[in-house]
Amino acid sequence: MNHFVKGNPDLCIGCRTCMISCVIAHEGRRIFEIDPDGYDFNPRLHMVKTRKISVPVQCKHCEDPACMAACPKNCITIQNHSVYLDTKGCIGCKSCMEACSFGAIDMVTTKSEKQIDGSERVIANKCDLCANVPGGPACVRTCPTDALQLVEEEMLEEKVANRRLEAARSLAVTKEFPNG
Amino acid sequence: MAIKEVQTTCAYCASGCQIGMVVDTEANKILEAKALDGRTNEGKLCLKGFYGWDYLNDPQILTKRIRKPMIRRNGKSSPLEEVEWDEAIRFVADNLNRIKEEYGADAIMGTASARGPGNEAGYLMQKFIRACVGTNNIDHCARVCHAASVAGCQASIGEGAMSLGVPEIENAEVIFNIGYNAATSHPIVARRIVKAKQKGCKIICIDPRVTETARIADIHLQLKGGTNLALTNAIAHVIIEENLIDPDFIELNTKGFEEYQKVMEKYTPEYAQRICGVPAEDIREAARIYAGSRHSVILWGMGITQFRQGVSVVESCCNLAMMTGNFGRPSTGVGPVRGQNNVQGTCDMGDLPNQYPGYQNVTDHAIREKFEQAWGVKLSDKVGIQLTRVPEFVLEEKDQKKQLHAYYIFGEDPVQSDPHAAEIRATLSKMDFVIVEDCFFSRTSAYADAILPSTAWGEAEGVYTSCDRGFQRVRKCIEPMGDVKTDCEIISLVSTAMGYPMHYESSEEIWNEMIDLCPKFTGATYEKMELYGGVQWPCYSKDLSDKGTPYLHKGGKFAHPDGKGIFIGVEYEEVYEQEENEYPLSLSTVREVGHYSVRTMTGNCRTLRNLEDEPGWVEMNPEDCAEKQLKEGELVWVTSKRGECMTRCKPTDRVKKGSIYMTYQWWIGACNELTIGQLDMQSRTPEYKYCACRVDKIEDQEWAERCVQANYKAIRMEMGIDISQKGGEA
Repeated sequence: MNHFVKGNPDLCIGCRTCMISCVIAHEGRRIFEIDPDGYDFNPRLHMVKTRKISVPVQCKHCEDPACMAACPKNCITIQNHSVYLDTKGCIGCKSCMEACSFGAIDMVTTKSEKQIDGSERVIANKCDLCANVPGGPACVRTCPTDALQLVEEEMLEEKVANRRLEAARSLAVTKEFPNG
Repeated sequence: MAIKEVQTTCAYCASGCQIGMVVDTEANKILEAKALDGRTNEGKLCLKGFYGWDYLNDPQILTKRIRKPMIRRNGKSSPLEEVEWDEAIRFVADNLNRIKEEYGADAIMGTASARGPGNEAGYLMQKFIRACVGTNNIDHCARVCHAASVAGCQASIGEGAMSLGVPEIENAEVIFNIGYNAATSHPIVARRIVKAKQKGCKIICIDPRVTETARIADIHLQLKGGTNLALTNAIAHVIIEENLIDPDFIELNTKGFEEYQKVMEKYTPEYAQRICGVPAEDIREAARIYAGSRHSVILWGMGITQFRQGVSVVESCCNLAMMTGNFGRPSTGVGPVRGQNNVQGTCDMGDLPNQYPGYQNVTDHAIREKFEQAWGVKLSDKVGIQLTRVPEFVLEEKDQKKQLHAYYIFGEDPVQSDPHAAEIRATLSKMDFVIVEDCFFSRTSAYADAILPSTAWGEAEGVYTSCDRGFQRVRKCIEPMGDVKTDCEIISLVSTAMGYPMHYESSEEIWNEMIDLCPKFTGATYEKMELYGGVQWPCYSKDLSDKGTPYLHKGGKFAHPDGKGIFIGVEYEEVYEQEENEYPLSLSTVREVGHYSVRTMTGNCRTLRNLEDEPGWVEMNPEDCAEKQLKEGELVWVTSKRGECMTRCKPTDRVKKGSIYMTYQWWIGACNELTIGQLDMQSRTPEYKYCACRVDKIEDQEWAERCVQANYKAIRMEMGIDISQKGGEA
């Protein structure tokens, strides 16, 4: 089963530390040494705020990803319990972005690469669970309120098992299983 | 690569977070900031803590570091020229001495800095103004933020600081959160509120906006802006009416309750509902929840202090805590949560026109004698001028002898931070002599006759006071760039050149002089700060067993001479400037989490700039936007009687119809062009949180975008940035 990072709106304070740490995890510390306009600031998660909710939204790393099915260049694969986008072959067709039900993929420009017409290259951008970053997802590590959690298979199994147990107990004292 | 890790205290809000700065000593560069296990932050940092050190690289995004002293040799019309330190110090000293001779010492005003410099520099600045110049005209930015908290708490309970410590917040049973948006002003304090909620704490949130705290609150009283006192009085009314008071606590530890009760009589919830727009039943419910625990904590921010009745609302909060016995134990009491990293400390150090270091009154003969003896000069017994009254003493005062003629602005940027910016600009232009001591060129430095370049946070040693009275060390991480000096050294040189010699070998030497003059701080030695990580004042004894005071007013003993808290009941009054036909919206200033103060530091940090940049936002209710056909991101004009500025529209149903919100750190979207300079007459804090405005659609958006770009570029050039080298795009 794939892993994913889950935000908890009860803990999130909307500060967006996660968005910056995401960029630094992927761009590297070199950005503090170079021209302030010389790097790409493309966070792979986005803060969503409504009247009642604040929480970052990112890829759910689906088991049967619609984005993977939609990609004509086979850039999206499942690797190490995550849905991985290899941007090398990305042609910016937006199919994955349109296919994703969660708005977890956006199209971004990259300053360092040019397209055939000389303009900045536009590619798809999504969470990769910090695939090559020591210590795992940077957003989880830097969140000041622990509002983000890396959910792994074992944790899900335990959660489901606990819910089953609760359900069984409730069956013993009630005639009808309550909704939800 | 030689790498070292330096433990220090964060440069930003007053949460007092401990950071490990990883430094490449050969390259003299910071590599990263690590979250350390400090008393208040427990291994957590927010975005400013993690990424807010980048300005030390001087990337010149917004402005640039000042690397050499500058003076206007031949008067106001001459250009600022780079000079050697000797000449700059002599120029400053001669001009201050000239003005002192001509108009007297009271013609000179100084500010201290509640940001990078630290307590030692704060102590020296007030000593310089008092002992060398000879006036009590010393103040700092607490005046524009929490001065009402200091005045109100001192009047009620005798001590103008948080009565509890930050860690205690998470064990409260009730949090009464009024006019305080912790998520943007102190993310690491917000973490405690979130944790408290997880532990079952009930949260009452009183705020005209849906803040992050309102979102998780058990009850949100979304009152009309400017009606705090009517609401807190009504809550007091319910507590008294329903007999939810703690009569023993009132009897034993307080005075004035009888008279106070009479003032509260008319504030029925129904009466308050008509003023505040909050349902009477919600007011009753909030009162019952608050009074229902003896571990109820009140937290507030500038949402109560930046109003004309700021002091009265602070007193009102103290009343609520006293009448319910919510003082003197862990996880009770009141928390005016100070905003800037060292604004508590700058008050502690006596950078106030009425108090010496350690909250000792300048009008008290015995106290004054003590300081006269220590400093070896006669001191003024006249309370000085508050910095918000500087325009009055420059533009309005007709008697030359009573006017302010010189302004030594140390680590502040009033053109950006103070209300009614046009008036501030006129004030500075009219003054005979303006000194700016800072690490960055700012909106204010353009008005300087002399600029003294100083070290920044990370380049000097010292002590900060966190919001909960915690003295903690701040340490030098890298060598400063350019021909700059520490603030302590600059002040000492100016003072010596003016004829009052000052010389200190270390920040600890200054600290030791200070603590010996302040009974509340005497025990807080550098040794103890090293040993225990920090010391919360009061700490009276140097004995290692006195580790300071986590919470104040133990056992209900308040910090007045007789130990009694005082009930002060005040009638509600309306805000100064009401909405009207031409200006139908009310504007309140608020904070942006990733930017700090006037933005010279965070605006020069790459990634913080990436999250939010010019010209900022005006938050508006979607209905108000629809009326004007405004979309998200569209540039608009915001206008008040005092000025106008351009910013982007952000529709959000977190704000009520009729009210708008802007943050004050933008140059283009500068909301202080709009704010009103009217003051709370007790604390002299401006009413930033309420003035009448209008928002207008701009038909030609392309033109407006070009305007923003051009203005931003022009101001950056004014700051001395070489646009061809550093890029001209906003």
